[in-house]
Amino acid sequence: MNVGSVIAGVVLAAVPAVMGFTWVGSAEKRLEETETGTESSDNPVAAIAAAADEGYCNGDLRKILRRVLQSCGLLQSGEVRGCQPVQAKSVATMQGGDFNALFMPLSQRAGIIQFEQDSADLDAADAKLLSEIFKDQRGASYFFVVARSSPEGSVEHNRELSQKRADSVMAHLRQSFNDPDLDREVGLLWLGEEFAQLEQDFCSWKRSGEADKCKPKDINRSAFVAWIDCRL
Amino acid sequence: MSGRVHVAIFVVACLIGLMFASVSTYDFAQHLDRQVHDLHCSFVPGMSAKTADGGAAGCQVTMMSPYSSVLRAKIWGGIPISLPAMAVFAFLAFRGIDLFGRRGRSRRSAAAFLFAASTIPVIASIVMGTIAMVELDAACKLCIGIYGASLVAFLAAGLAFMAIRRAPPEDGVQDEAPGPVALVGLAQLVGFVGLAVLAWVLAMPDYSKFIGTCGKLSDTADKGEIMVPLDQNNGADTIEVFDPLCPACRAFDRRLAAAGLDVKLHRKAVLFPLDNTCNWMIDSAMHPGACTVSEAILCAQAGAGNTTTKQVIDWAFESQEKIRDAAKIDPAAAKRMVDERFPDLAQCVGSDKVQQRLNRSLRWAVAHSIPVVTPQLYVNGTKLCPEDTDLGLDYSLAGLLEKNGGGR
Repeated sequence: MNVGSVIAGVVLAAVPAVMGFTWVGSAEKRLEETETGTESSDNPVAAIAAAADEGYCNGDLRKILRRVLQSCGLLQSGEVRGCQPVQAKSVATMQGGDFNALFMPLSQRAGIIQFEQDSADLDAADAKLLSEIFKDQRGASYFFVVARSSPEGSVEHNRELSQKRADSVMAHLRQSFNDPDLDREVGLLWLGEEFAQLEQDFCSWKRSGEADKCKPKDINRSAFVAWIDCRL
Repeated sequence: MSGRVHVAIFVVACLIGLMFASVSTYDFAQHLDRQVHDLHCSFVPGMSAKTADGGAAGCQVTMMSPYSSVLRAKIWGGIPISLPAMAVFAFLAFRGIDLFGRRGRSRRSAAAFLFAASTIPVIASIVMGTIAMVELDAACKLCIGIYGASLVAFLAAGLAFMAIRRAPPEDGVQDEAPGPVALVGLAQLVGFVGLAVLAWVLAMPDYSKFIGTCGKLSDTADKGEIMVPLDQNNGADTIEVFDPLCPACRAFDRRLAAAGLDVKLHRKAVLFPLDNTCNWMIDSAMHPGACTVSEAILCAQAGAGNTTTKQVIDWAFESQEKIRDAAKIDPAAAKRMVDERFPDLAQCVGSDKVQQRLNRSLRWAVAHSIPVVTPQLYVNGTKLCPEDTDLGLDYSLAGLLEKNGGGR
């Protein structure tokens, strides 16, 4: 073997070794730079899975939601359930009309479960609408049940009646849906006849009552139910 | 003079083979920084092919396949087979140059050895080409370049050997004994390959420090009864965040199986379709129809018919492109395709019950604040880093199993 061949051999043997060593070394350098943050990764950063947060979730609505949810215990253990009318008033710190206005953007996510006079029983149409609304959770975090009663009868009786209506809704949900998060999702408010009575504007919303049964007294013998697509 | 032209052609072919193998090795080495890079996938060595239809897909499939490297469980990414290919071509070029400089009959044994040695890249090309066609169904232009260079080198070596054998003896020039020539040649070959591999291994960074550093699930319990067992293995409890119409999930599944790693895991899927008909976390459907197919998987798992979850998943993997294309034009197409293929699940798919279960599956992702991406693998609650799900899969998963316990 002549000298030229030996030189060629040494050079050619070194080519794969030197190239491989250099390339791997270069990758190590980039790896260190990425690790120390001096070079950003080329890979796009993926979003983190989160509950839905729709455009209508403005600052005021979030504030009210937080107050209501804290008052009802939902932001802590989820064990406290339901808010007395006086509490609802105090957490909302607003007029009934303004309170109802908060829910106006929810027309596609809400329904009004209409009860018979002095009754807290759900009939077939009520149960159907309630299930229909509840099963369409999508990314929503909270399901609000705002029960009311019409002004006939005493204030105390109507307060109790609206509480029974809220409980009736909750019982149906518990019975019909095997949702382990139910107690953390559902917020119950019973307002009796005292606060935020629904106006006839709500007659065009999804209701379980008959079409022509939408006088103020009809629409307030009800539980307003809605998924709230807001993150807190 | 006889055979010199053939030897020259042989050397040129070997140098071209060396170039193709070098570009392939360079592309492989680029990925050792755990990032995604473009590949140089062209019949012109070094030319980039960035577009999806530019041929890079074939190189991508080939490089990410378990056949592109060896010792993957021991070294992150393994030793790319293109590295010894570089060394073999360099060795053959050296032997060709040596033969070119020899005179008369002293060249016979050297030419015979060269011809014999030139079968190495040809045999390797036949094996790898068959794997690419049969197993991977992928055509890698760089690989084809290597196959071509190997073939030309082999033919040139054969012709050179025949020409040299026929050449008349020169006075005073004795041929070397073939045995020692072959032994020296083999030792040189081992030296060339060994040096390249040694340099590679010595330069490798320490990847063990990354294992288990990409997060953990706060709990792995299946409170919402949303998880779907993907196998009956007795391996480590593993949760896979999974979209049946996601090509990366299919590729990941195949990589796991090809590497024999699937049997070490007991995988349970959390369905996470990247389809905005059910998934509010994305603005548009990345994988149209994935919600419907996910429902079919949940229905099969719930025993809504005789169909098994594996049958639905296998079908979804096979028909991914077809389902996505059809559902992109008509969102109801996925349901029709599922009904046609699995009539026993037709009633269940689209039912309130299964839709709620799928919704709970999506909310599981919210509760655990995981990234909106598929696939994701959590071994005993510890996440396999996304940067380690392709080339570094064998190494990192083995490390993760070691760190987090191997089985149930």
